[in-house]
Amino acid sequence: MARPRREDREASTATSSSSSSPERTAYEEDTDFFTANRNDSQSSLGVPSLREEAMSPNPEEQERLYRLSPISRLPPELLIAVFSRLSSPSELRSCMLVSKPWARNSAEMLWHRPLCNTWANLINVTRSIQQADGYFPYNALVRRLNLSNLNSEINDGSVQPFQACKRIERLTLTGCTKLTDHGVSTLIHGSKSLLALDITGVMAITDHTLQAVADNCLRLQGLNITDCSRVTDDSLIQVAKNCHFLKRLKLNSCALITDGSIVSVAESCPSMLEIDLYQCRQITNASITALIRNGRQLRELRVGHCPLLTDNAFLELPKNMTFDSLRILDLTACHLLRDEAVEKIIETSPRLRNLVLAKCREITDRAVIAITKLGKNLHYIHLGHCMQITDAAVIQLVKVCNRIRYIDLACCQRLTDASVKQLATLQKLRRIGLVKCQNITDRSILSLAKPVPDQRHGEQRARALGPSLLERVHLSYCVNLTIQGIHALLNHCPKLTHLSLTGVQAFYNEEALTDFCRDAPPEFTEHQRTVFCVFSGEGVNRLRNYLNEAPQVTYDTEGTMYDDRDPEGDIDAEGQVAGLMNATAINDDDEDMDEIEAGEGSQYDGGEGEG
Amino acid sequence: MSTAQTTIKLQSSDGAEIVVEREVAERSVLIKNMMEDIGEQAMTEAIPIPNVNEAVLNKVIEWCNHHRADPPTANDEDADSRKKTTDIEEWDQKFMQVDQEMLFEIILAANYLDIKALLDVGCKTVANMIKGKSPEEIRKTFNIQNDFTPEEEDQIRRENEWAEE
Repeated sequence: MARPRREDREASTATSSSSSSPERTAYEEDTDFFTANRNDSQSSLGVPSLREEAMSPNPEEQERLYRLSPISRLPPELLIAVFSRLSSPSELRSCMLVSKPWARNSAEMLWHRPLCNTWANLINVTRSIQQADGYFPYNALVRRLNLSNLNSEINDGSVQPFQACKRIERLTLTGCTKLTDHGVSTLIHGSKSLLALDITGVMAITDHTLQAVADNCLRLQGLNITDCSRVTDDSLIQVAKNCHFLKRLKLNSCALITDGSIVSVAESCPSMLEIDLYQCRQITNASITALIRNGRQLRELRVGHCPLLTDNAFLELPKNMTFDSLRILDLTACHLLRDEAVEKIIETSPRLRNLVLAKCREITDRAVIAITKLGKNLHYIHLGHCMQITDAAVIQLVKVCNRIRYIDLACCQRLTDASVKQLATLQKLRRIGLVKCQNITDRSILSLAKPVPDQRHGEQRARALGPSLLERVHLSYCVNLTIQGIHALLNHCPKLTHLSLTGVQAFYNEEALTDFCRDAPPEFTEHQRTVFCVFSGEGVNRLRNYLNEAPQVTYDTEGTMYDDRDPEGDIDAEGQVAGLMNATAINDDDEDMDEIEAGEGSQYDGGEGEG
Repeated sequence: MSTAQTTIKLQSSDGAEIVVEREVAERSVLIKNMMEDIGEQAMTEAIPIPNVNEAVLNKVIEWCNHHRADPPTANDEDADSRKKTTDIEEWDQKFMQVDQEMLFEIILAANYLDIKALLDVGCKTVANMIKGKSPEEIRKTFNIQNDFTPEEEDQIRRENEWAEE
């Protein structure tokens, strides 16, 4: 830690070193501005204005000043440490207007990330940047630029003034659909400090921009080009070759990308932590094998909807090698994968925490039994539409992997109350998806409400189970459920914030109940809207209150005494894994999509599921 | 080696010797490192703390004593930086109710002695004194002279208008 040194008292140069530690997550825009600044404050000692030369007063003068105004004793780095505890730009602006020393030491922090959330602000920011005789050289102070709040208005012209900001480290242009190669590549040209670039949805972007990235941004660590579907291997290979520090790469729906560039990334970027290839449909086994084999630090691999993947993607991994860094693996709808692949995955990646095998329809109980080897490491498992799995495997999984927080078994139509009864014993369970598990009845729901402990442990265990931590419960198309069952669930799950009951007939019989539903998402069809029945947030409470007050409902509510303590309170620790792309966050929209799929596929799925 | 009951001596800048339990003194990373460097010898001779006078040193020791049992600071930048400015525990708030001269001396001492948590409390206290105030009110609070010309002040105001909320 820096010690106060008198000679540092007056401002030093404007060319302080980089503000970002390499450890910092790349896409955390909007949440960490002030926290991040605390690191910067160690190295930056104020910005001289263009007008004045910093000068040192003589010792007596200084002593007099200290007595008069004790805060003047703080050297710049400590004044900056104070400013970094302020929480809004307006507070920093007030500091800037206090005195020259305060202005010097707050300007850099304020301009670290100029707030371009409104058009008026953007105009003001760009005018200050362009001003030749500004009080400070603002263009050199900007480290982060996020224009996504104005994404529908931003065009190549509006970003032009920012080409004077050559020290930008994070550039976020998410959804700025009017931007083209011209605008973006102008910004990137000469941006040697760029660490993270997010151009999600800037669909006009081509290899031209990515080539500029490869030529200029040699320190790049994070790149998100989701939906930039015109980008090809040509430029991405150049990025891989030049940007060796790349850690996070998100290429969702970049349909032209093939193994050529991904293998190059795997071989040239040894620090890779997270890679997301969702819907890069041309990707084959070679990419996946190379990424896992070379990515000794790889933590998160998302390759959902890459339909060409087969078991060999994993079976061809070197023998006797394990990949201990891998925590998150998403193989949604890699429909050719079979049990052999899952067995190999578990064998080579024993520390997996999140595993998504939704719609890997070939997998059977054998895969689930392999997954049990993850034991307590497993927190998140998605087996939706894996229709062959049975109670036996689920019961075994839950017994061994008792730290599961999130489980989805949508459309696993062979499952019965026996599975749910076991699921109910998971003490850390926050979210459970049972959409269209049509065999389950109120008995399941009652056990979720009040888990029945193992006979062997009896009462003692029952107390240890504590109150339910369930927050999100998905029961759409569980057609046998009744209001009594749901009522008990509501009363026993105080933390419930989401409850989906689309297609549960009992709920349509009583009109008042559907009043508490939230509105269907706009993209739903008329029919989907009519049946949509999802309660969230306050809606859950209103439904609970309504049922509790309704006279005709008499239901045993004993055992509603809750002990509000969180058994270990360690859910936050898990949050650290989430990483930059927030891909692990539970997304309401995705869940709504599940609703549609479950609803619409019913006749089709039904036929396939039985048998 | 059991260190729980051991005491050491510190010598302030104005020559006062203060006896303090080693465990308490070692809240200071500077002192802790010095102890490791000079070893057993430290037990007999007073450790000079040339930048901190007796009054301030006593105050700092009071803080260290109260926080002696705190879990080792999560040095993880993330963990402590997430805390809001206003999150100062009650005892610390009372502790920081001192005149400004002492307040800034404590901050300087915490920085010099490398006591992260105390520095944090100090910075937060000052930040809380700034929050919600106009530039003029801030100047009054800390008795700072406005050294801008009206033109300069107006220019800064204009160039940073975007930050106004």
